Amino acid sequence: MIALMPKAKGNAYFLSCKTGADRAARELNVELLFDGPVDTNAAKQNEIVENWITLGVDAIAVSAENKEGLSTALRKARKAGITVVAFDSDVQPDARSFFVNQATPEGIGQTLMDEAARLMDGEGEFAIITATLTAANQREWMKHIEARLAEKYPRLKLVAVRPSDDLKDKAQSEATALMSAYPNLKLLMAICSPGVPGAAEAVQQAGKAGRVKVIGLGLPNENRRYVKAGVTDSVILWNTGDLGYLTVYAAAAATRGELKAGAKTFRAGELGELRLAGDHILLGRPFIFNRGNIDRFDF
Amino acid sequence: MKRRGREFVLAAVLGAILLAMAGWAPAFFEPAPLRSLLTREAPALVVACGMALVILTRQIDISVGSQFSVCSVAAGLLAAAGWPLGLVLPVAAGCGALLGALNGILVAGLGLPSIVVTLGTMVALRQGLNLARQGEFVNLPDGVQWFGLSQSAGQAVLLVSALLVLVGLALALRYLAAGRQVYAVGSDAEAARLAGIRPRVVTLAVFTLLGLLCGIAAVMNIVQSPQVQPLAGSGLELKVIAAVVVGGVAISGGRGSLWGVLTGLVLLACIPPALTHLHIEAYWEKAIQGAIILLAATAEGVRRRKERH
Repeated sequence: MIALMPKAKGNAYFLSCKTGADRAARELNVELLFDGPVDTNAAKQNEIVENWITLGVDAIAVSAENKEGLSTALRKARKAGITVVAFDSDVQPDARSFFVNQATPEGIGQTLMDEAARLMDGEGEFAIITATLTAANQREWMKHIEARLAEKYPRLKLVAVRPSDDLKDKAQSEATALMSAYPNLKLLMAICSPGVPGAAEAVQQAGKAGRVKVIGLGLPNENRRYVKAGVTDSVILWNTGDLGYLTVYAAAAATRGELKAGAKTFRAGELGELRLAGDHILLGRPFIFNRGNIDRFDF
Repeated sequence: MKRRGREFVLAAVLGAILLAMAGWAPAFFEPAPLRSLLTREAPALVVACGMALVILTRQIDISVGSQFSVCSVAAGLLAAAGWPLGLVLPVAAGCGALLGALNGILVAGLGLPSIVVTLGTMVALRQGLNLARQGEFVNLPDGVQWFGLSQSAGQAVLLVSALLVLVGLALALRYLAAGRQVYAVGSDAEAARLAGIRPRVVTLAVFTLLGLLCGIAAVMNIVQSPQVQPLAGSGLELKVIAAVVVGGVAISGGRGSLWGVLTGLVLLACIPPALTHLHIEAYWEKAIQGAIILLAATAEGVRRRKERH
């Protein structure tokens, strides 16, 4: 019996993880429990883990709301002989055997840059909209985007990086100013989720759909209307269904002793052979949502 | 002339910046993007007018961003449920007025310091909204954006509405007894009381009015795009308080005009696009805005010293 805990059980993101988890459970013929707080609530997560220990499940897979708090409960579970893996949001390394890592900064940065280059036919000017210039994750992504740009795309030019403070409305204003300041701009790349619909709305209002392309890191539901209208070309994130699928495969294999510490690769059903980096199981390259596939996702 | 000195200096600074932009980056004045940028600031102008009244009475309200967000989400949900905008607007305004009145009752009724009261409501409303929405956008039906009009007509309606609020309040401050009471309470509440004004009623009224304007501004914001981000108003308090202070309204109350607030808001709002046009790194944006605020505060300090001597 495998127990899967999201940060919040009604959240569309986690519900889409669950569809993949359910599929994996059917393939592996294991029973899957899915429970979590109604809204993000760290204390409630501990309570549920305690219940699962009493219930005697074989494996627990969690996405942690509070890293430290949940780790204590999970260590207790491990002492009771339960296999613990984390997915989506990690806990302390000693509180779980593996972390199913949905996307590395390197994978995100490279996928964004490659996709931008593809849409721009390998040449021209583009600009980036960030959350803030100093946020750790944004800087990490920027580092990989710039490295990829320098390495592979000499004819692409990053003309400006503008912060949006994680506000859709500010992203829209920034994008509006960018398009008028750089008339040859071919693409806007937003690396914070509110920035993608913000940039798209600016392009729409400027009547430049198609001429200035929009891509970014975001959620399908926030971008659906712009993707379907042909304003936004690509929304990049991981495939949440695959994340749930892989998590259940990893939890089952670790329980059966087929997945041991130190393993370099892991075969997860239809996902095939995946790489491990230390105790992180890597889901692989991020997923690109576009006009052709976005309707298969609802989160 | 002397009384209007600050507004003239400010207008001159803004004029100089615009002239410099005309020389170095004429694309800054392209009508369509400029209209989009100005329309984006229209809701902030409406909130800044209300904030100016509160600061004129020697109070402050730092919960406006949270009030704006709550009203935006409420208005968005009603619009998404199929309510016509003609009904959404008064409900959002009423919701804002209630939130503003709550601040007003705590400040005027219980005599609590407004910075503490509104810090409390700012955090409580923001967290409540986070809990309720988990950051999820509200998707609006077709026909809400631009009130169902064309984009340029919708933008014109919003810009004219914001200016009407500004002009209406500016005239009221100058010519209505209630307007003059706002200045009187901010200059010297005790003297105002002796003159037959009820400072607590005036204080409650300005907080309620600011809330109401937050509700109206929220609707002016949601009609500009097909989605409402619950985080929408975050940081709005800093933006409008900065505009009010830069606009020459004394933080110690009783002095200042709404014309200055308009100039202050436009001045601060044109910094980010101006930097983009001049190809200057975004790191400078907040530094320059901060320097403008400090200069305004210094000018105010110098003025008060002179007055005392």
